[in-house]
Amino acid sequence: MSDLGTVRAATAAGADGDARRPATRSETAPGPLSFVGLAIGALFAVPAAYIVVQVISLDAPFAETWEEIRGPLWRTLQLAALVSATAAFIGTLLAWVTVRTDLPFRRAWRVALVLPLVLPSFVGAGAFIAGIAPGGIIFEVLQAVGLTPPRRFRGLGASWLVLSAFTYPYVMLPVSARLASLRTSVEESARMLGCSARQAFFRVVFPEIRPAILAGALLVFLYTLSEFGAVQLLGYDTLTRVIFATRQADRAVSFAAAAALLVMAIAVVTAERRLRGRAVPDQRTAGTQRPTELGWRKVPATLTCAAALTVGLVIPVTSLSLWAARGIRDGAVAFGDLVQPTINTAGVALVTAVVTVIVVLPIAIETTRRPGRLPTIAAGAVLGGFAIPGLVIALALAVIALNATGFGWLYQSLALLILGYVVHFGSQALASTEQAVRAVPGRVREQARLLEPRPFRRAAHVDVPLMRPGLVAGGGLVMLATLKELPATLLLAPIGFSTLATEIWSGFSEGFYAETGVASLLLIAVSASLTWLLVLRPTMRR
Amino acid sequence: MTTSRRLLALATGATIAVTASACGGDDGDSITLYSGRSDGLIQPIIDRFEDESGIDVDVKYGDTADLALLISEEAAAGRVEADVYLSQSPGAMGFLDENLAQLPQETLDLVDPATRDDDGRWVGVSGRQRVLVYNSDNVDPADLPDSVFDLIDERWRGQIGVAGGNGSFQDFVTAMRFTEGEDVTAQWLSDLDDLDPVAYANNNAIVAAVGRGEVEVGLVNHYYNYRALAEDPGVASVNHLFAAGDPGGTLIVTAAAIIDGTDKADFANEFIQFLLSAEGQEYFAEETFEYPLVPGTPTAGNVPEIEFDDVGSLDLDELEGGLERTRELIADAGLES
Repeated sequence: MSDLGTVRAATAAGADGDARRPATRSETAPGPLSFVGLAIGALFAVPAAYIVVQVISLDAPFAETWEEIRGPLWRTLQLAALVSATAAFIGTLLAWVTVRTDLPFRRAWRVALVLPLVLPSFVGAGAFIAGIAPGGIIFEVLQAVGLTPPRRFRGLGASWLVLSAFTYPYVMLPVSARLASLRTSVEESARMLGCSARQAFFRVVFPEIRPAILAGALLVFLYTLSEFGAVQLLGYDTLTRVIFATRQADRAVSFAAAAALLVMAIAVVTAERRLRGRAVPDQRTAGTQRPTELGWRKVPATLTCAAALTVGLVIPVTSLSLWAARGIRDGAVAFGDLVQPTINTAGVALVTAVVTVIVVLPIAIETTRRPGRLPTIAAGAVLGGFAIPGLVIALALAVIALNATGFGWLYQSLALLILGYVVHFGSQALASTEQAVRAVPGRVREQARLLEPRPFRRAAHVDVPLMRPGLVAGGGLVMLATLKELPATLLLAPIGFSTLATEIWSGFSEGFYAETGVASLLLIAVSASLTWLLVLRPTMRR
Repeated sequence: MTTSRRLLALATGATIAVTASACGGDDGDSITLYSGRSDGLIQPIIDRFEDESGIDVDVKYGDTADLALLISEEAAAGRVEADVYLSQSPGAMGFLDENLAQLPQETLDLVDPATRDDDGRWVGVSGRQRVLVYNSDNVDPADLPDSVFDLIDERWRGQIGVAGGNGSFQDFVTAMRFTEGEDVTAQWLSDLDDLDPVAYANNNAIVAAVGRGEVEVGLVNHYYNYRALAEDPGVASVNHLFAAGDPGGTLIVTAAAIIDGTDKADFANEFIQFLLSAEGQEYFAEETFEYPLVPGTPTAGNVPEIEFDDVGSLDLDELEGGLERTRELIADAGLES
């Protein structure tokens, strides 16, 4: 045991601590938590296992199946690569501009720029398409400046634009968090030693935020893999279309397509782990940060923020408001019918967020404190859940609940619905939760252990307060995703349980645009206030 | 710690609220309905049934095909969760065939024989006719074809909106196979694909696209345009009917069935009979702009009357392979996405 030595070393290192200290030997041996982590990983792997079993038992002829999924597979890959690269670039840029510069209103931008995450993608895309129609905001603006509005808005380009605008917050949020805790002193030293601002960024800042960028881009990639509603409306034919179109008439092809998604997810998760490497990021938190002065570049920086917000929020919200206003004018909207769905939506999202963070925490502890093969596999299972479309996860859980002895009561219960959300969205909490675990350095835990022998008191006074920002951020992402989830909600929810997303869907699919508009605006309002109250305000630097 | 405490309090409160809402409901007379038709279209008439009969209807809304999958999985596990199933089209009923109970003859007899299952396992509730929706700003009505076969013309290259993955398009193709034969249908699909039609997610997306001039015409069900007009009377989309008897004008019925094994067949039957009562049929005519299927019920003022003898109603039982074969044909022609 090297406890004493570690503490002594930590003390010797002074206030700055020993953040880059590699894990000690005592920490790499698997403990009881390893098995908890593995069991949780197994839970997350249930839908994937279901897909594999179905592919084997349905025994689709390989050549024909491959013929059917080859084209969509290639298109899915193209879109996912383009969208994640774009989101990585925009998300990083916006994070830097809103955290590390003297951009005017940067705190307001930080809140507003997260909001594109709150719209269900199908309604976001639908509202975006409506903006191009005569009378829509894009159409009118383009015409006012003398340009011919495009007649069609569809295909790879359209899907790329819309999905990038809806997903960059997945990168912006973790990168912002990382940048906010990064000390500026090293960067300043680099500048004093003659580096240009750009050199200082790429040599000093970039290596520190790279894991956050990669983790965010990975989420965007997985999100795009499983995305269905938006790409379908935008006429871009991906693997999810194959899964949906064949789910009834040709199940072998449907599950083969789902399996192809899984293979892609495994490949990209592995690649991300490799790229991120084992480097333990600098955990020392910043004292004071001196913002970079933008000078004349305040104008292009503000325009960039405005452009991202316009595509991701202003255009869809304008269309939704037009729909809502028309319906309210005609008295076609019954607001009373939306009260219960609103309560359901907020309630189930909050519960899911808390449960997800608790479930993911043991895996995060394993991957950060005892990195090895088993924790990596468990983490991969968590991440893979995001690449499987919600419908497939829901079907897998429904079939298992129906047929597994002793679990019949789970079917059409809230517990199963929340389990579905946890499996689908656990990936979104994982990176932030790992960050939270790293926020309690080994030396702090050692010292705490010496000073306070009672584990629960220790956790309450040392671990939880230090981990809180990361846990809250992870839970916040899960909450936002759950608020707008549709396919699993439709299939798994108890009878009569409706959410704002199901209301939006039922209005949108039958052309009740007024109802869609009102319910969507309500969803945005609920998401924004919950995010502000629970996630941003408590963690934001005053 | 205040934030954590506030979070915990909120989560606890939320759990209670959500659980309360999910467990609400009493043990009186009730049935469970799986509805592939959305609540905007169907909930008002369900409310009236509850008021008049005293029977509670617990509804699970969802996509027609997904609910059919759930019902078949429930049946495979030996469970009966739903008592009644409402589908947007007969195709899903064909998929569920062996999970559906025999309907009483008196219920079947309420509708025109052309709009119910020959084996008596489902009954049509309301009808939607296949039409060609066009943009009145860009299209001269004189150019519009009388037959769906005349739509195969260079005039419409790149201008036809199609939803190949949509249930009612598939049912229309199934009907065409029935009346015109496999070869003619396959040829028509492949000719249509040669004209570079534009693929959309569903009927509704096509009507919206035609309304904003993205494509000039689209193959859809008639009532979506009436819904679009109800939302925005200024929209430029107009329905064009194919000539009487043309497969392009097939009537697609929404259907109701009782799930096999339910112990609430009587209540379920009462509910279906209510949908087929004068009150129910008038609701579908006036509120959702569909065709009532009970003879003698008038259509809404702006919806033209229809003769059931003139519309090719389809009988999936007569067709080998049903939906699967139709989907193959559509996919082979390249029209699926």
